[in-house]
Amino acid sequence: MALVTGFDANASGRIASLAGAIAGSERMHYAVISFLSVVSLVALWQFGSMALPSSVLPGPYRVVSALVANVLQGDIFTDIAITLGRIAAAFAIAMAVALLLGFSMALSRTAGIFFHVWIICGITIPALVTILTLYMVVGLNDTAAVLGAAAPVIPVLAINIREGVKGIDTRLIGMARAFRAGRRQQIVSVMAPQVAPMLLASTRFGIGLVWKMVLFVELLGRGSGVGYKIEFFYQMFNMTEVLAYALSFVFVMLFIEVAILGTIERRIFRWKRN
Amino acid sequence: MTYPFRPPAPVQAAMSQISLTDIHKQFPGRGGKGGWKALDGVSFEIATGEIVGLLGPSGCGKSTLLNIVAGLDDTYEGTVAIQGKPLAEQIGQGFRVAYVFQEARLMPWRTLRENIEFVLQAADFPRTEWAGRIDRVLGLVELAKFADFFPLQLSGGMQQRASIARAFAIEPDILLMDEPFSALDELTARRLRQSLLTIWSAFRTTILFVSHNAFESTFLGDRVLVMSPGPGGRIREEINLRHIQRPRDYEDTALFVESKRVVECLQRHMGNRPEHS
Repeated sequence: MALVTGFDANASGRIASLAGAIAGSERMHYAVISFLSVVSLVALWQFGSMALPSSVLPGPYRVVSALVANVLQGDIFTDIAITLGRIAAAFAIAMAVALLLGFSMALSRTAGIFFHVWIICGITIPALVTILTLYMVVGLNDTAAVLGAAAPVIPVLAINIREGVKGIDTRLIGMARAFRAGRRQQIVSVMAPQVAPMLLASTRFGIGLVWKMVLFVELLGRGSGVGYKIEFFYQMFNMTEVLAYALSFVFVMLFIEVAILGTIERRIFRWKRN
Repeated sequence: MTYPFRPPAPVQAAMSQISLTDIHKQFPGRGGKGGWKALDGVSFEIATGEIVGLLGPSGCGKSTLLNIVAGLDDTYEGTVAIQGKPLAEQIGQGFRVAYVFQEARLMPWRTLRENIEFVLQAADFPRTEWAGRIDRVLGLVELAKFADFFPLQLSGGMQQRASIARAFAIEPDILLMDEPFSALDELTARRLRQSLLTIWSAFRTTILFVSHNAFESTFLGDRVLVMSPGPGGRIREEINLRHIQRPRDYEDTALFVESKRVVECLQRHMGNRPEHS
């Protein structure tokens, strides 16, 4: 046995340093490929703009210049702040309702059957119809806008969450029960960590969907925000500003995705990387 | 092997740790018909510090029986007594039951140390004792160096050793094991059985385990209870192995002789079912 232990210890040391080296070269590889990917996208855009008149598809340089000018002038931040506020509100509503639906559908057979029809209807009704109906019923105001952005996202999120909850490993719950873990310990230490990856994925997915919906509701019935500005400049045939505003928000969303959600992910899933 | 009902008597010299009397278990079928009689009058007693194996073909109700002793299943007829009292009452007074499953069932997002902390917390051990207990049990299964590794960084055999350490960390009064080595290759399983007996000799825990492997049961057990195939599983024969000397050695000839006897016994009670696993 002593022999075997010695082997284990050596192996673990070697594996650790090897893992470090692999992780290092993997990171390098990741960075290089990602960089090439960005360059290729910008190049595609550049070629496209060269083939078309600049009033139709302005090139990256023009758009970025316009964006920089907007940023220096400062007005753009008001619109970004307004849109971000609507995204936050719509996402909070969508997530709360979807969590409620998803969990009840996964845990109760009756709720599963009952809400199944709702979900199917929710998925089949076009977002445009939902938004217009809400504007008519609630009025042309921010409440309707936020509800309109949240509603189409709910069914998709609810399905995601339902599947995630159904995927919980019941064997670990059996283990917790066999060792007489209390209800609280079971939920905090066994269930929550299993639900966390699904919640994070749903958050990502939800924010991505909600932001597109918010742009849509702003375009249809609001007089402020990035969506409204895009619509405004489109009516003026100013494609440079349309793309500049869109690009500004792409940067904002990238920041949320990479800096915030990415960090959370690395924190939570330490155990998966090895 | 039937035991008359005994009122909670004054302290007896050799009070059995676990005592099952006439256990029946019926699984309901869908819509009230069909159904499956898993256990049909099972009775046995296990003394403190004894290692007893339940041996039988799959579907004979071994695991059901284990769940009943663990208190995870309380829809049965009959009496289960732990030191003469119902399990629930004993648990309330700090009686501890540990479980080793067929798979390690470690939480992959927790290190080995944190996995063991989970059961120490569940068993209400004071936090100050945690580190000492964890180091001791991980040392006993030779995983001391891996305390801060995540389960997925270890081999299947090491994970199962960690789950054995986890079970002993709470210093259980009873340890239940459900086919603990059947998912491992034979060489790993051999080493783990030895590990188990080493750690057992440090704790002298009462162990009830389930197996379908005659040699394994012989190697581990003081006694082996052979069950008949389901439905209506019951104990057909009891084989005494106390005379095989401990610590057990894989090369001991007595072991081969006895395991042959166990296999014969198993075959005798198999009925004339053409296939068995």
